[in-house]
Amino acid sequence: MSPLLTLAIKNLWRNKLRTVLTVLGVSAGMFLYAAVQTMQHSLSSATEMNANDTTLVVYRENRFCPSTSRLPEHYLPTIERIDGVREVIPIQIAVNNCGASLDVITFRGVPADSLQKYNPAINVIAGSYDDFLNRSDAALVGRNFAQRRGLSPGDKFEAVGVNVSVAGIISSDSATDENVAYVHLAFLQQASRVGLGVVTQFNVKVDSAGQLDRVASEIDETFSSDQQPTNTRPEKAFFAETARQMIELISFTRWLGLGAVVAVLGLVANAVLLIVRGRVKETAILQTIGFSRLAIATIVLFEGLLLGLAGGFIGVFGAAIFFKMQSFTLGNEGQTLALIPSANVVVSGLLVAIVLGLLASVYPAWKATSKPLVHSLNA
Amino acid sequence: MSSLISIQSVSKSFTKGKTVITPLDQLTLEVARGEFLSLMGPSGSGKTTLLNLIAGIDTPTSGEIIINGENIAALSRAQLTKWRSVHVGYIFQLYHLVPILSAYENVELPLLLSKMSRAERREKVLAALDLVGLADRADHRPSELSGGQEQRVAIARAIVHDPDLLVADEPTGDLDRESADSILQLLNELTEKFGKTVIMVTHDPKASAAAHRSLQLEKGKFIEDGHLLNKQPAEQ
Repeated sequence: MSPLLTLAIKNLWRNKLRTVLTVLGVSAGMFLYAAVQTMQHSLSSATEMNANDTTLVVYRENRFCPSTSRLPEHYLPTIERIDGVREVIPIQIAVNNCGASLDVITFRGVPADSLQKYNPAINVIAGSYDDFLNRSDAALVGRNFAQRRGLSPGDKFEAVGVNVSVAGIISSDSATDENVAYVHLAFLQQASRVGLGVVTQFNVKVDSAGQLDRVASEIDETFSSDQQPTNTRPEKAFFAETARQMIELISFTRWLGLGAVVAVLGLVANAVLLIVRGRVKETAILQTIGFSRLAIATIVLFEGLLLGLAGGFIGVFGAAIFFKMQSFTLGNEGQTLALIPSANVVVSGLLVAIVLGLLASVYPAWKATSKPLVHSLNA
Repeated sequence: MSSLISIQSVSKSFTKGKTVITPLDQLTLEVARGEFLSLMGPSGSGKTTLLNLIAGIDTPTSGEIIINGENIAALSRAQLTKWRSVHVGYIFQLYHLVPILSAYENVELPLLLSKMSRAERREKVLAALDLVGLADRADHRPSELSGGQEQRVAIARAIVHDPDLLVADEPTGDLDRESADSILQLLNELTEKFGKTVIMVTHDPKASAAAHRSLQLEKGKFIEDGHLLNKQPAEQ
């Protein structure tokens, strides 16, 4: 280890209470920053399209809440016949709250026999898929949903006026699947009183991402003069447009993240400046015995870096563990956004903490050696 | 003996408010290699200013300070730092050891920025501690040492990189008589056995008597028989 780094560590350890309090402050700031970044990252994943996205959502035109989007189920074969369509699944959605909420309960009614074919990524991790197929009031509950509600196979629960029996717990590549309860389509249509033959939306898989726009236009054109005209969009664009309230809220949190960064910067700068001011004479002694200004500045920069890194490590990993344990889901207009910790956020959070620690120490590092040596020796 | 230090017409002045203060005025001084010189004088006489100039931690307003053939008055701040790290060992009145470091680590400080291996550093640090009689206190923190022992550690720190010149600012000023005598004896040994040149500022006539030569300063000039001189007194 560099002798200068060793000196920096010993210097920080000299005043344990101040160091611990500073690290705690940095941790709190970096926790907030990482929490905001987790929300932003989760939102980006849910709304930014990539070349692998081949799903369209057919919704009732000019409707935004699942309770007001009602499309005839008999649109299904017409959509299936459109060139480029690979698969279609009708979905009835029932939610407890259309507004932006942290505790949204979403039921997705789908044809039970088509679910796994439509969505092969679904994996039953507890209970059984057969139980789901064999019982009309059965539900496959997403892992996060089950964890939040403390559900396991065999349990019964009631929400949004719908009583279901948990047949299995599912995991999936898609965060949305892990935060909803899949039930039989006919069961949900009856239980939520929208009636048989009416669905909230169709999810349509097309052969390739390049066909999304053409197929969407064709679907909307087909039903444009129907009683229930449609608005068809790629799944992520649909999410972005439908869950605007939630997106605006999350976008606002950027300012909180920025505030956290500024707070951390100020906290570390203040702490390092205090440390430097308390050691004016000692720094002068080190210079007298041959430590260059660069060496002194490096020690101070190391101290800021260590404070930033220690606080960043606790705050960023604390946020990641917190989100992992809590499985938070934001809901809006029937769309669910799972707040999932990511490696990107952890790495970028640690980098931000390092950069903040260094930036905050630049002025104190300069200040430590700016005075003439004789003045500092007489301080 | 050849001359290690040659100070030619050195002045130091600075402004305090609207007043120009000149702690050193056109001083000239020669110090031989291996000499133990003490500088005495009342507070404000300029002795510490002269010591700081010789140690390269301050620069003169005018004049030349030639040490080992190099005019250090012309060096930049960074060059002076490098020069000090090779040529000077500084001993402070209040020792100024780093409290969080052990005696060993304090003595090691001047070597940390050199290219020496850890083993080489260890050898030099232990030799320095042994020389000042504190090899068995290497792991002790300054708070666990007496004043005399702390000053010995400070001397070990000043000599560990084997400088030609040791400057000491009231090295016995904070010690009892017994400890002071042992420190003065150690400084004498360093000149006699190891050829170090020692310049010591002191208020203590007994300490001054331990040096090979003693000079009195007053108002920034040398003094002899009540007369102020720019040059050191001829008769030593």
